[in-house]
Amino acid sequence: MEPKRKLIGDDGLRQDGRTWDQLRPIKMEVGLLKNADGSAYIEWGKNKIMAAVYGPKEVHPKHQVLPDRALVRTRYHMAPFSVDERKNPAPSRREIEISKVTREALEPAVIVEDYPRTAIEVWIEVLQSDGGSRVAGITAASLALADAGINLRDLVVGCSCGIVDGKVVADLDDTEDKEGSGDMPVAIMPNLNYVTLLQVDGIYSREQFQKAFELAIEKGREVYAMQREALTKKFFGDGQVSTSSEEEAE
Amino acid sequence: MSMMKKNYVVETIRKAQMVEMLANGKRMDGRAPDEHRPIKIQTGIIQKANGSALVTLGNTEVIAGVKIATGTPFADTPDKGLLVVNAEILPLASAYAEPGPPSEDAIELARVVDRGIRESEMVDLTKLCLIEGKSVYTVFVDVNIMNVDGNLFDAMSYAVVSALRTAKMKKYVVEDDKPKATEEEIPVPVERIPVSVTMARIGDALVVDPMSEEEAAMDMRITITTDDDGNICASQKGEASTISPEKVLEAVDLSIRIGKEIREKILEATS
Amino acid sequence: MIPGDVIATGDYRYGSYVEKRGDSYIALRIGLAEIGREGIKLNPMTGPYLPRPEDEVIGKVIDINGFGWVIDINSCFDGFLPASFVFGREFSPSTHDLTTKFKVGDIIGCRIESFERSRDPQISIRGHGYGKIPKGEIIKISPTKVPRLIGRRGAMINMISERTSCDVKVGQNGVVVVTGPPEGIVKTAEAIKMIENETHAADLARKVEEHLGGTPVGT
Repeated sequence: MEPKRKLIGDDGLRQDGRTWDQLRPIKMEVGLLKNADGSAYIEWGKNKIMAAVYGPKEVHPKHQVLPDRALVRTRYHMAPFSVDERKNPAPSRREIEISKVTREALEPAVIVEDYPRTAIEVWIEVLQSDGGSRVAGITAASLALADAGINLRDLVVGCSCGIVDGKVVADLDDTEDKEGSGDMPVAIMPNLNYVTLLQVDGIYSREQFQKAFELAIEKGREVYAMQREALTKKFFGDGQVSTSSEEEAE
Repeated sequence: MSMMKKNYVVETIRKAQMVEMLANGKRMDGRAPDEHRPIKIQTGIIQKANGSALVTLGNTEVIAGVKIATGTPFADTPDKGLLVVNAEILPLASAYAEPGPPSEDAIELARVVDRGIRESEMVDLTKLCLIEGKSVYTVFVDVNIMNVDGNLFDAMSYAVVSALRTAKMKKYVVEDDKPKATEEEIPVPVERIPVSVTMARIGDALVVDPMSEEEAAMDMRITITTDDDGNICASQKGEASTISPEKVLEAVDLSIRIGKEIREKILEATS
Repeated sequence: MIPGDVIATGDYRYGSYVEKRGDSYIALRIGLAEIGREGIKLNPMTGPYLPRPEDEVIGKVIDINGFGWVIDINSCFDGFLPASFVFGREFSPSTHDLTTKFKVGDIIGCRIESFERSRDPQISIRGHGYGKIPKGEIIKISPTKVPRLIGRRGAMINMISERTSCDVKVGQNGVVVVTGPPEGIVKTAEAIKMIENETHAADLARKVEEHLGGTPVGT
């Protein structure tokens, strides 16, 4: 068996120069798509992902309508050119699974009871993928839901941690994900402090699990601060904010 | 796209305003009938792709990505490389787009753009042959429609052309009757630049580069693709309606003139 | 406020878009919060139009069936205007042609008559000022900005109307129709855009007034 190459150098730095607990550079922008009710674009390391929300809207086909709440539909999809080897545009089993866990990560934050007999659709398109795309997608989708003005209990934010060269590290990139020995995507509602996504790939000792899990949550909170900034930038700008109702209709 | 018209109802007052303004040579967004919206082209935005381009035509936004590999040629063209053009109107792009296998609109879109590329011989496919009958370069151009505001045909066409013009592929050499990758990067053999120009008919007038609202009000659409010499290399009439032969020739002349102008823009953005 | 933010803690009355958790009051939407005599209020800055009975809206006829008109009211549900509301109780599909009253594509001012959970909203045009709107410039804004556009007791909308010499019909569903002199329409559209983009500005009314200038258009 070929020896696995070292992904962490003797200086403790990873292939891209990061320390074990450093996030890749992240940029977010809200509201770029004109037709969608809400949208957000995220660049997370080399990941480039666009999320859009349409809804609440009518349910088609009609027989799927839920009388007392909204139906949340989610699709995580990768563009054929998003990965090293061209990917067939038809949904793969991986994409279908990720669509499901993404929906289950976002739905707890949506107050679905406020929108009976409707559908809320979340579309996540990965334009370029480089490890941790599902948590990046969830992070962008949460912004898109807020941008669309859907009643939310909280935002949802995610981060993936794992094991590389026997050490727990934060935010695996594609190489670390493929060649490392563990990947753990986690998503949380940061104010409520609830976990809404947890997947584990690889083998962790009890301490490693706890370390990676807590690190993912800690890093998730760092990303949450960026989500707030992105929303504030779009809606509140840099100007003074008025809280007076003097000018509003009754 | 006819997709908009099937579901979107344009307000009677808006349509009346459109027709009235056109009688005075103006459109709802201030454009002249033969004016297209600002075209923005950004290339190299997806580093993992061999080539890529983001094109915006007003609010219509599309991204084309090129992926190049090697594979076996088709049996009836053993000396030609593969070039496949695909389109997906993402559900992100419009309230009327659904996820799933490509609709007839998306397929028509991809095939019309593909025809323009193929008939103009934009890419010399014989230069993509490594071992006749056994091994050729395979070039896939996939287009994601990100936001629909009319004229997906032209936006997609400019994106495919821009992505191909700026794409780089690994050079392969033939060793022991097998293709072998080298470290050298070479451009895709692009010889010509086909440019498509789409027009919609509203009332009696032909308007170039229709936006969604105009497509909802149109009763006919025609796309004409011309090459560097002003030859017509593809054409498609859309919508269940009729067009007079004179109108067709009017459209052809418009397309040749405007096509030239847009070719300059594409050249500038992709040099 | 961003969804999940704590607006205040203590004991207050509170309105829509706010949730009580323990003794904290949480925002459920992006918006501006205020605490006044009526308790905690969150003014959302984005979100859909959900029909409420008595709302005056501007809709578009998108379909006609045997018994009435289907109206797009810029909401997740289409409204339905029964033919009997317009033709009276003697209405019958065989004797009355619905297209004589409203056709697909027509814009109508109307009212949400009722909205039950299990049916689409019912629309009525009974009353003064409702019915087909034959001409005007259609402008769409986020429904969450309608209160700002109207202003306290109509202060903002009346001011705009006066300064531009235009008639401005505002639907609760975010659809606005403006009629009047062309320059007035342009100025009205600009004012509306300002209100949409600067909802959070402290002195929005003054800014809009300044932009529109002191003298009404056309004098």
